Amino acid sequence: MTDQTKNILEITGTVLNIQRYCSHDGPGIRTNVFIKGCSLRCKWCGNPESIGMKPEVSYDPKKCKGKECSICLKKPFPEGGFYFVEGDDSKIKVNWQLAKGITEKITSLCPTGALEMFGKTMTVAEVMAEVEKDASFYRSTGGGLTISGGEVMLQPDFAAALLQEAHNRGINTAIETACNAPWSFLEKVLPHVDTMLHDLKLMNSERHKKWTGVGNERILANFKKAYETFPNVEFIARTPLIPGVNADDEHVMGVLEFIKPYKNVIDYELLPYHRFGLGKYESLGVIYELDDYKTPSDEVVNRFQAMIDEAFGRTEQRSV
Amino acid sequence: MSKETSQKRVAIMVGAGYIPGINAVVAGASLAAGQLGWELVGILDGFEGLLHPEKYPNGGIISIDPRVLNLDPNTSSVLGQSARVDPFNVRIVNELEMVEEVDMSDELLKRIKAANIDAVISIVGGLGMSILYQLHKKGLNTVCVPRSIENDIASTSVSFGFNTALTFTIDMLDRARLAAKAAHKIAVVEVQGEVAGWIALQAGIAVAADAVLIPEIPADLQQLATHLKNNMTGKKSWGLVVVAQGAKIINQQKKEEKVSSLKASLSPLATSDSNSEYVIHKSGQAAQAVAEGLQLRIAEETFPMVIGPWVRGGVPSAVDRQLGVAYGAGAIQALEAGSKGVMVAFVPPDVKFVPLAEAINKVRTIPAESMFFQVADSLGIYFGNKEA
Repeated sequence: MTDQTKNILEITGTVLNIQRYCSHDGPGIRTNVFIKGCSLRCKWCGNPESIGMKPEVSYDPKKCKGKECSICLKKPFPEGGFYFVEGDDSKIKVNWQLAKGITEKITSLCPTGALEMFGKTMTVAEVMAEVEKDASFYRSTGGGLTISGGEVMLQPDFAAALLQEAHNRGINTAIETACNAPWSFLEKVLPHVDTMLHDLKLMNSERHKKWTGVGNERILANFKKAYETFPNVEFIARTPLIPGVNADDEHVMGVLEFIKPYKNVIDYELLPYHRFGLGKYESLGVIYELDDYKTPSDEVVNRFQAMIDEAFGRTEQRSV
Repeated sequence: MSKETSQKRVAIMVGAGYIPGINAVVAGASLAAGQLGWELVGILDGFEGLLHPEKYPNGGIISIDPRVLNLDPNTSSVLGQSARVDPFNVRIVNELEMVEEVDMSDELLKRIKAANIDAVISIVGGLGMSILYQLHKKGLNTVCVPRSIENDIASTSVSFGFNTALTFTIDMLDRARLAAKAAHKIAVVEVQGEVAGWIALQAGIAVAADAVLIPEIPADLQQLATHLKNNMTGKKSWGLVVVAQGAKIINQQKKEEKVSSLKASLSPLATSDSNSEYVIHKSGQAAQAVAEGLQLRIAEETFPMVIGPWVRGGVPSAVDRQLGVAYGAGAIQALEAGSKGVMVAFVPPDVKFVPLAEAINKVRTIPAESMFFQVADSLGIYFGNKEA
């Protein structure tokens, strides 16, 4: 092992979860590594546990033993962070205002796992050990490693090291990103990417700002620069499709228009909105801002899919 | 506690979430402060006026003088409104154009000091009170006024805002009853109450509803259906069911959702998020679920209605106008008495000052021995699974 390889293996990042046998984020059977930290605040976000940069505490009342345990009512747990409501069921309640920020060490004292941390620090070597478990699947299906988030570009050194090491071991690489980061961050990561799945959430900047927290000028500029600078990377555009937000002809046609000049953008995928993350918002004490939004109908999705198929010259229509 | 008689500059702010008649509290504090020769100023839009004064043409702090400002308690708050008031968790766009949440509590305290503000009166709900408690622990001299539409703040008998919500809800239920009567159907009306069922139970009693479903007692839809069936024999061809937003429902089939491969791929900790007994959290869903569940169990038609945010508009009730002015004046009294980090509590016939440490982390739910349950029982109102 050279010194350089050794250094790459020792680089650390904050990993939320590693999910095996995935099939939607790049070719073949893949292992998805979700890393923490996001630079957008999409109101529909289905992964609220991935937003914060640091590991954070979560609470699952189903695992709580309640009064018979009560360990979180005593030190070193924060005063007032946990409590019982008189006359209510026997589960602990969390005062998220006072409980936020408790450390992994304190959380680990919860004997039932009702309190646990979302996210942990891992080295590239540790992550790769997990990823390599399915190496035979990657070989037989053309799959590999996908880094997702959060936002991959917020941990550029870690992501670049992971992807580089995967390539060193002959594993295909993909990332899932919204690219709201300085170009200097992207420049570190993209040389090690085979497929980049990227979100085009809203083409109108003002509306992008309303729904995600920032305008889209830099994001679109980053995409264009990436298409042009890395011609060998396969790009797949994506839209989380939400009625009342972006499920309209104007958006879908805007995306098709945007990617049309670039032959290395090989597909445009629609991800119909589902209220995936609702339970997780509760376990983090976070308010879900997109309360009343519905899943788009099959009819709407299939109509947009037909527009995409036509733009890509596909004769056989796919349904989502 | 020593009396604070020297001249003071006191600020007043309002937490997130609108409640009619906030000006009554501001007017009460202003008049009482004026009696002591103290100056009262208002922080606009929660703490925004101090954290982001650049947003406001004349700065984020306004002078409050009942002789100059329109403090008509029937009008909306002169202090504006903020969706978020947590200085420990302020969302910003940083210098790299990335969104993040930062702790601005130290900065807030510095700015309060720089503005020569001696104390802050905070008109807040349960969550806001925890934030103010944290600020108090960091040195802020604050007195909180409890405001809650649900009346779920412990240590006080009545929170500001509850009576207005109750009055409006009763009016709406009267109308729903007429609609149900005319249509020969069962009206299922969702009212405010995520954790406490005060509005549902008290309003349900006032209109003699057939049933009241609340967060405190799990309700069995089969029992409810039987109860309605019994009530709807003979001359009565309609029904009225009042459902609190956070009503607990048992024996309700919930579709077991499998974790799809797409979900597993997109979501780091994918789960199906389901269990057998569940609490309906989101506005509008409780009435829908109960109406559908009932219709499957009884040969009658049901229709869901949601009062929801309507309850937050309009003018305050007579009780809330009095209470608001009294709470505002009470906050000034607390400061005059030298109390710090307290909540003004109405414990008839007294006004008390309860330490915030005792006021937080408690929920004022309806106790099992409440007189309201006895009254509801005597009226034949179904209010949950008595065996549960």
